Amino acid sequence: MALLEVDDIRAGYGDGPDILQGLSMAIEQGKTYCIIGPNGAGKSTLLKAICGLLHPREGNVTFKGEVLNKLRTDEILRRGISFVPQDRSLFPDMTVKENLRMGGYILRDSKELEASIKEVLVMFPILEERSSQQAKTLSGGQQQMLAIGRALVLRPEVIMLDEPSLGLAPKIAQFIFDTIAQLKDAGMTIILVEQNARKGLECAEWGCVLDLGINRFEGPSNTILSDPRIQELYLGSQKQDRQEETV
Amino acid sequence: MSETLVSNEVKPMRTTESLKKPSRRQKVFLAVLLLLLFTYPLMQFVVGGLNYWLHMLLYTFMYIAMASSWNIIGGYAGYTSLGHNVFFAVGGYFTGVLLVYFDVSPFITAPLAGLVSMAFGLLVGLISLRTRGPAFIISTIALVMLVKITFDNWDYIGGTNGMTMPPILSISLDLVKFPFYYYMLLIAIGAVYMSYRVRHSKFGLGLRAISQDEIKAEVAGIPTNYYKILAFGISGLFVGMAGGIWGYYLTYLKPNIFLLIILAAQLVLMTVLGGKGTVAGPVVGAILFIAINEFFVANLGFTELNIVATGLILALVLIFFPLGIVGTLRERGKLPPFLDWD
Amino acid sequence: MSQFVQVLLFGLTLGGVYALMASGLTLVFGVMRIVNIAHAAFMIIAAYIAFFAFTIYNIDPILSIFITMPVMFFVGIAVYWLFFARIEGTARAGELTVLLTFALALMVEGLLGYFFSNIYRSANPPYATQALHFGPYILSAGQFYATLLSIGLIVLLWAFLKYSRIGYAIRATMQNISAAQVVGVNVERMSMIAFGIGMALAGASGSMMSFLFTFYPGKHWEWIAILLALIVLGGMGSLVGALAGAFILAISSALVSYYYGPTWSPITFFLALFIILLVRPQGLFGKKMEA
Repeated sequence: MALLEVDDIRAGYGDGPDILQGLSMAIEQGKTYCIIGPNGAGKSTLLKAICGLLHPREGNVTFKGEVLNKLRTDEILRRGISFVPQDRSLFPDMTVKENLRMGGYILRDSKELEASIKEVLVMFPILEERSSQQAKTLSGGQQQMLAIGRALVLRPEVIMLDEPSLGLAPKIAQFIFDTIAQLKDAGMTIILVEQNARKGLECAEWGCVLDLGINRFEGPSNTILSDPRIQELYLGSQKQDRQEETV
Repeated sequence: MSETLVSNEVKPMRTTESLKKPSRRQKVFLAVLLLLLFTYPLMQFVVGGLNYWLHMLLYTFMYIAMASSWNIIGGYAGYTSLGHNVFFAVGGYFTGVLLVYFDVSPFITAPLAGLVSMAFGLLVGLISLRTRGPAFIISTIALVMLVKITFDNWDYIGGTNGMTMPPILSISLDLVKFPFYYYMLLIAIGAVYMSYRVRHSKFGLGLRAISQDEIKAEVAGIPTNYYKILAFGISGLFVGMAGGIWGYYLTYLKPNIFLLIILAAQLVLMTVLGGKGTVAGPVVGAILFIAINEFFVANLGFTELNIVATGLILALVLIFFPLGIVGTLRERGKLPPFLDWD
Repeated sequence: MSQFVQVLLFGLTLGGVYALMASGLTLVFGVMRIVNIAHAAFMIIAAYIAFFAFTIYNIDPILSIFITMPVMFFVGIAVYWLFFARIEGTARAGELTVLLTFALALMVEGLLGYFFSNIYRSANPPYATQALHFGPYILSAGQFYATLLSIGLIVLLWAFLKYSRIGYAIRATMQNISAAQVVGVNVERMSMIAFGIGMALAGASGSMMSFLFTFYPGKHWEWIAILLALIVLGGMGSLVGALAGAFILAISSALVSYYYGPTWSPITFFLALFIILLVRPQGLFGKKMEA
């Protein structure tokens, strides 16, 4: 059985329509998955439905055999799934250290928390440098590092990242992808949603293409990368890609 | 399977209400209603002793006018004003001063009072409407307090004691309410008609866009600032006119009766109860509120329990029927045509 | 010059009390994004409690905070649970809830009037009429003690928010509610607790009010208008702003009262509000409002 299973789920916001329209996916331990697809396909919605920010209206999300549907976010965090949202979601007036501390909010053991925070600061030396600075004073890339670091404080088994390279210059984005590779080497299960489909698929083993709320294609990421149909529909031609990278 | 993509960032605007033209049945209904209202006072000569009812009706017309006007800024544009009785006071004092010091009848000066209130609204709107949401609501409360304190200390208009108006002595007791009845009826018709025209105009559509998402409306090219200020201004027009007549009707003006926040509360309640943002809502809400109020006064007297009742009803409506009567009926598909003017 | 300093001191000793009143309001706004129009009405409930505690049981109004604060805290939890828990999270939350607090204020006013009538009340413990001498300057003893206590409570609030686990969670919810959810903060519970704390602060304010001012059920409109003007001036959602607004307005209204007469001093608040809206709509310490 897979570590995390998403079984034919339907989900949406408020009383709005279903964004996810019967989506299924299986996540195996230790692998890295990249989810791509057009805007509005439901990529962020999927991640939110897994980590408890949204509750599925139909279908099940199962982690290690346990159904997560009705659990609160803190309960899901406790079970080992962390989420790095698209807008980073930091606490602007809190310092880097305080943000990391908030990452470990559900932990009661302060010693464990301090140890985790130290590990994160070792992983991101630039955050160590700025540990007493307010989060709002950090640059885009530093904020993204902080957001990832905050998710790591709980030493999760599964980490989900929603468009981590969004708005970052290519060099900094590359650093983020390198960090993801580091996490992969450490044995973490990673679910990545990326607009920069090429880069995202490159660091993953398995790719899923979401469209109109369902899982349309999935397969080994290099298959998806080289499939001409998907290239045309979702990855953009070679020329377009070059233009995107200079932004 | 639909091909349209629903982005999970944008909430679709409610376009389920179509702006249809009134049907023939509706027009007949309206004609009959107006005929009845115009001829009702003539019953005074047939049956007599109808002064209480004339009073209740003109009182209702006044509130219909005020609620419909409030609806333009509070319902259509989504900017809750808790200080709308300022317009009422400005209008009332304007005609009052012209009557007491210059002997000009409010029946002549009331439209002017309306325009003055409107100008006042435009001016205040220039400042207040720089804020959004809760800050705007606060600025309207501050406005009432500001005007109240100013009027309380302004000797020319009588300060806290206010001014007394000379009553109309030349008409018999039987007929004395007639001019007020017809004037208020006309004001009510004017206000509701204005509300209807705004709703069915590009301006009204722009206001609704503002109420749903102001930033997106601005991005879409709607001149939001201009529209908001205009809405605020015209929402004061008929309120000011009504105030101009009401002071004359009461035969006195006092800051304490015009500028109490409880009056603003009642306006809000009426409109929310009837259905914010609809044409028929404020009318229904005003009628219902006055009926309920009369019921409570008859049974509880003028005690503080009336205030509790107002608050309680408002709370219950907000929690369980936030769309009001007209809105809730429409959502359930059960709106009768004589209430469907949107 | 010394008259000016005297008036300044008078304003300062009121500023602390205003700040206490405004801090509860700001806390609730910061966490729940609701402007609680009923805040002053709840303050008056507490004022009645303190008043009756004093006149019937001889309990000192300042000490009555040990009664009013816990009582109002639980009243706050109950009110949240009854009225706001249902509405939180629905799309129209913002505007509807302001009107709801408006309705709440009406209910409180009506009930207070019904049970306690509209007589003007004021507790008069001995220090309410005593004066303290600081060199050539005179201070009202009551105001002075009230302000000291108010500042003490504000410092306690600040320490609570900065150092306790719940304080962190509350600050997190104030700064970025979705981020707070992501890290597992139960934002509904934090809202409830924040509302309770806000009401507790209203309770303490009410105790002060009972002997500093005359009060009656309908007086809350004047107070809420002042407090609202104050937090808009300081910047909604900012506790520092609330403090700044409180002291600025207390001092300016004291000055206006001295130079132009007491009837004009309430106008200072409302005029200041409009001026600020003209010049800097987000207030002194506020952030630009999103729609």
